[in-house]
Amino acid sequence: MPHESSPPVFEGASKYVLDEELAKIVNISIALEMPLLLKGEPGTGKTMLAHAIATSQNMRLIVLNVKSSLKLVDALYQYDTLTRLNDSRFGDSKRDVSNIEEYIQMGKIGRAFVADSRVVLLIDEIDKADTDFQDDMLDVLDQMEFDIIEIDKTIKAKNRPVIIITSNSKKDLSDPFLGRCNFHHIAFPDPDMMRMIIKVHFPELDNELLDIAVKTFYKLRDFQGIEKKPATRELINWVRALKKDPDFRPKDLIQGKIPYLGILFKKSSDYQLSVQQSRRLRS
Amino acid sequence: MFVDFFYILRESGVPVAPTSFLRLHKALALGLVNGLSDFYTAARTILVKSERYFDIYDRVFAHFFQGAELPDFKGVDLEIAAKELLEEWLKHPEEMANALGISKEKMQAMTPEELLKYFLDRLKEQTEAHHGGSRWIGTGGTSPVGHSGYHPGGMRVGGQSLHKSAIKVAMDRRYRDYSLEAPLTQAQMGEALKRLRRMVPVGPKDQINIDDTIRATTRNAGEIEIVFDRSLRDRLKVILLVDNGGWSMDPYIDLVQTLFNYTRSQFKDVKIFYFHNTIYDFVWEDPPRRYKPQRVQDLATWDRQSRLVVVGDASMAPYELMATDGSIHIEERSGLPSIDRLNLLAQTFQRCVWLNPTAYRLWSLTRTIGVISSIFPMFELTLDGLDRAVTHLMSKN
Repeated sequence: MPHESSPPVFEGASKYVLDEELAKIVNISIALEMPLLLKGEPGTGKTMLAHAIATSQNMRLIVLNVKSSLKLVDALYQYDTLTRLNDSRFGDSKRDVSNIEEYIQMGKIGRAFVADSRVVLLIDEIDKADTDFQDDMLDVLDQMEFDIIEIDKTIKAKNRPVIIITSNSKKDLSDPFLGRCNFHHIAFPDPDMMRMIIKVHFPELDNELLDIAVKTFYKLRDFQGIEKKPATRELINWVRALKKDPDFRPKDLIQGKIPYLGILFKKSSDYQLSVQQSRRLRS
Repeated sequence: MFVDFFYILRESGVPVAPTSFLRLHKALALGLVNGLSDFYTAARTILVKSERYFDIYDRVFAHFFQGAELPDFKGVDLEIAAKELLEEWLKHPEEMANALGISKEKMQAMTPEELLKYFLDRLKEQTEAHHGGSRWIGTGGTSPVGHSGYHPGGMRVGGQSLHKSAIKVAMDRRYRDYSLEAPLTQAQMGEALKRLRRMVPVGPKDQINIDDTIRATTRNAGEIEIVFDRSLRDRLKVILLVDNGGWSMDPYIDLVQTLFNYTRSQFKDVKIFYFHNTIYDFVWEDPPRRYKPQRVQDLATWDRQSRLVVVGDASMAPYELMATDGSIHIEERSGLPSIDRLNLLAQTFQRCVWLNPTAYRLWSLTRTIGVISSIFPMFELTLDGLDRAVTHLMSKN
């Protein structure tokens, strides 16, 4: 539901189960106009949170997917020299070749700055980029402005975007970076929370299947030697598969017959381990 | 306001920046914080920047707002508490033998130090399995350890009324698993090991160096000259020797497994060998140590630039290390004591480390740890220790 009054209060979206603590943190970050850095293992809904904020606040979401090769300037703007060269040679476009500004295209951060209304800017997997990128980017987000060198023009943010940054913590982020963010670590949901999450995705799911599926899921996560543990996304897909299968009976799970392990375990070594260890559950 | 809180956090080892503290006050001034539980959340998200410090934060918070006892963060309290508990138990040896899952005879044969170490190991297991709850202390209802109200980790919660929810949350210590002292996870290991990588240019010159190309072109008065480079590849060789024998290493199997799963995916050229307790004439390529032996002498002729990483608890009877026929396996008594083999390896591979999963504070209790750490630079197998080990491996470049 959209909130017209300011400051906006975030209460969760329809497909996203929000815990109270995180809601407070989001609201504080919005009010303090600070970027919020989210860490946590994959599948804890870091990225989904940004989507949920955007939906519930009726704001547009702009996603910047960070790659290791990404340069900061690419995230801000691009100067399309190739089109300009083309236009100057063949002259068949309506653009004014002598005006460089017509060949400047905004990147994701730039677009968030020039948007007419407040947007949610999601900077996904910041840990993939190098430290310089991170620090420089935070400068820009701090100042809420950047320069376009080619046309000597400063772009100022019309509205301060709500900034959500996620990290899978493969690398430690630098101190200056951390100093400018609020921080939260999303723990893997406990079984009760997980039941609520599944319930939101499958409202008509009967409680018996829900309980057994979630219980089995946590048992599977406890298997020894698994490299990539199944997360929320895998569980949702798995439940979807169980529902579609006409031959499936919830009792099978209790007896340790676990179908579709491949949905949950995506590395071949993990899959084999899980098959072996699920046999043990059967006894 | 809350200046004391700020300083206690800092003294306890949470790196809190003054600007963050001012920001917290801004949040307070804006009226965003209503009540203690809001304060708990707001202060943590603004002041604490890594989940590794969440646990300390929880403890400081509980101390500051509830007067809970602030434990010494060096972990000494665990040992003292354990000692006290052991003394109490020693009055009832049968009960204790039961609790630890060993026979009364075996227990009486152990020295107090060994007993303490064994007990602490069990406690550590308990911490690791805190969420899974699959280990034996605290589950199954057979063990007095879980029932005596003793809380491993040192927070004595007994007898306090927990009526404020934020305090309760802080007392729950949900983030213990993420704290600096907690066992390593795979991702953390990756973080530490990645620094071991050494990129060197190899292969054909097939990558354009744009900066040099521009420079060469301008020097060429605009006539384009393209400069190529070789691509970078990791050429680091790693030899990993793992102690996988004996019950003394049992508690650490998961930890070691994580370590070398990660090592294998991280480095192209990594050789893994196994040994039991210490190294004699052979190490083995197969974990059961039966089919594929490798002569240690031959190992010593390999590339001296290789990084040698030994993982083991370095705990054994002194004669296994010193005696000429020290091996507990009869077929490998060749006349050279193990200590000579270790010296040979340490001299051959100048960049070597020994990673010990035993907690550092217990090292002085075992004599062989002292001996081996004088041969190999020894580090604790924790995030901190691994970090220092990697720094050591790379330092002589």
